[in-house]
Amino acid sequence: MELFLQTLIDGLLIGGLIIVVGIGFSLCFGVMHIVDFAVGEWVMVGAYVSFLFVRHLGHDPMIYLPLIFFTFCACGWVIYPLIYRAVSGKRHNPVLMGLVFTFGISILAKGGALSVWGYHIQSITTWLSGKSISLGIATVPALRFSGFAFGILITILFMIFLYRTKWGIVIRATAQDRDTANLLGADVRKVGAFVYSLYAGITGMSGVLIGALFSIHAAMGAKYCTLAFFVVVLAGMGYVPGVIIAALILGLLQSFVGVYIGGRYNLVALFMVMYGVLLITPKGILRKGI
Amino acid sequence: MKNEMFRKRFLLSLLLFGLVMIGFVWPQSGQAQEKRDFFKIGVVTSLSGELAFGGNVTKRGYDMWADTINALGGIEIAGKKYKVNLVYADDQSTPATAAVAGERLITQEHVDFILGPYASGTTLALAPITEKYKMPHITGSAESPLIWKRKFKYTFGTIPTVTLIAQASIQTLAKDVSPKPKTIAVLGIDDAFSKFAAEAFKTTAEKEGLKVLKYEIVPEGSDYTPPITAIKALNPDIFAMGNHEKAAIEMMKIAKELKFNPKAFVQHYGMTTPDFRKGLGKDAEFVFGTSVWTPNLKHEGTTLFKTPTEYANAFKTKFGTDPDYTEAASTAAGIAFQEALRVIKAKPPLTQEQKDALIGALEKLNIKTFYGPIKFATEGDFYHDNAGLQPIALQYQEGKTVEVGPGKLRVVAPKYPTPSWDKR
Repeated sequence: MELFLQTLIDGLLIGGLIIVVGIGFSLCFGVMHIVDFAVGEWVMVGAYVSFLFVRHLGHDPMIYLPLIFFTFCACGWVIYPLIYRAVSGKRHNPVLMGLVFTFGISILAKGGALSVWGYHIQSITTWLSGKSISLGIATVPALRFSGFAFGILITILFMIFLYRTKWGIVIRATAQDRDTANLLGADVRKVGAFVYSLYAGITGMSGVLIGALFSIHAAMGAKYCTLAFFVVVLAGMGYVPGVIIAALILGLLQSFVGVYIGGRYNLVALFMVMYGVLLITPKGILRKGI
Repeated sequence: MKNEMFRKRFLLSLLLFGLVMIGFVWPQSGQAQEKRDFFKIGVVTSLSGELAFGGNVTKRGYDMWADTINALGGIEIAGKKYKVNLVYADDQSTPATAAVAGERLITQEHVDFILGPYASGTTLALAPITEKYKMPHITGSAESPLIWKRKFKYTFGTIPTVTLIAQASIQTLAKDVSPKPKTIAVLGIDDAFSKFAAEAFKTTAEKEGLKVLKYEIVPEGSDYTPPITAIKALNPDIFAMGNHEKAAIEMMKIAKELKFNPKAFVQHYGMTTPDFRKGLGKDAEFVFGTSVWTPNLKHEGTTLFKTPTEYANAFKTKFGTDPDYTEAASTAAGIAFQEALRVIKAKPPLTQEQKDALIGALEKLNIKTFYGPIKFATEGDFYHDNAGLQPIALQYQEGKTVEVGPGKLRVVAPKYPTPSWDKR
């Protein structure tokens, strides 16, 4: 029973981290139809920037979350026109163009990080690092729990924004039918820039949590790119609310397979579920994707 | 108008691209016939990707050798000194790229011989290439027994296999601490090195009478929380990790988060590196590891560095950190080539006959260095590996790695059992 409960908690908390990485990625795809291959690199650069803040300014890395959010929003705003140019115009396959372009950004970011910040493996510590909440028969790691809470909170805020504000309606309209939204007066380019900034900001922030939980190095982004793809396929391409459920399923799957079947079967299980979903319900488990 | 400008820009770009390509190809086409008075040595290692840190560990070791011998004027052959020039090729931490990088160094750079990669997986991909081109190759880092079992004629290694090295810490814990541990759980990463480290922990534990509660190999890059949760539930006395430094840092962080308190943490390879110490801070304390070289050993070298202390001091002056055994073994790989070249009296650039003669000289080599004796096995499962070194058990005590066994190799008593996380 103890092991079952701990496995359940581990799974939910792993899922929480996947939500943080997957939420912006899903929105980015839903609204702009951009499959951002550089999602992991936003995480990596976010982790490095928080490391630099801590090294030069001191204090707990969590304090810098808002600053990192706005810094990365600004970066997203600056980069977006380049992506827009790559995916618009007379190109035959804009999705592929976006994929190739962001793949380039990813390689550039990895190489740049290695050149600028070097090959050493870095670590950041927050006041929550190593702490845990004991529930008697199970342990809840505090930092992972904060990641989980952060993921849920971000998703709720996102949902309120998307469904309760005028900007949210414009974003959803653009996601639904880009050309009609444009005809009705929505500035598609501005919406795209806004969403991409938001995505960059959130994913950059997730880097702080991931950097504190694991370790920081130039190649750390790759696995988050894979996870983001998994979660978006499972949630349904572009369907934001599905991200929570998909991420938690992925987290629980990793946890239960890791404990009861064997850690070596983790990736096999993830791929099997993904293939199953693609074959049976290509629009995601909730059948609400594109 | 716009179209015309675009066309002009396009032609200009094409011209520039063409010039750049010519620049790349021009010097290389002339190199086959070049005459040079220095040795050109190819180095394939991980300078980017997951193993970039480890790749730079080997780079520091190789650079240490090259810079030191060059400061002395170079390798002396028949009364004349020849400098060495290292040409690096990044394997990007992937085996396929290691093979391509090796092929490029051989066919385009025309190197005289090759110093090998950090990881065993990349070494296993490079070795068939050096075999194909009959190019002498010594790795100063790879520890997987698979490399030597395949009996590559042109590949050598200065570090004994992990199956020998990893025994030391388990032997020390099984024999030299009280109360004696009874159980162990082993977690390894699925790569050519780490899973053999894990297997060595397991077989040594079984040989020493410890009960193996769990033996698990997991993919690199996955979240290690589930397997550590499963191991925690079994409450083993020893938790042994076969991995590289990055995964080691992550596993230790997870163990702390989950309040997993075994009586001993054992890790190989990574605990001897500065990043492990920096990444974990005081949580690195009490972790056991293993090595084949420390600056405190009493080896006497006949060439380049006389003692381990002399090497350690020179290394610290150059790089600012203490050397670990992989750095020392990488430097020793350079020394092995240097001494074999002296034996065959070969001047650069080496011909194929001289490269073959170099292999013969390496097989007969029997030298004493600051790193210990270098004598490559010429038969058996450790074919071409320098398998004769004595493994040493280490433990983190007060921020430093100290020798804790096995048996007479102990300098300081091992601290056992490890205090629980809330009592540190």
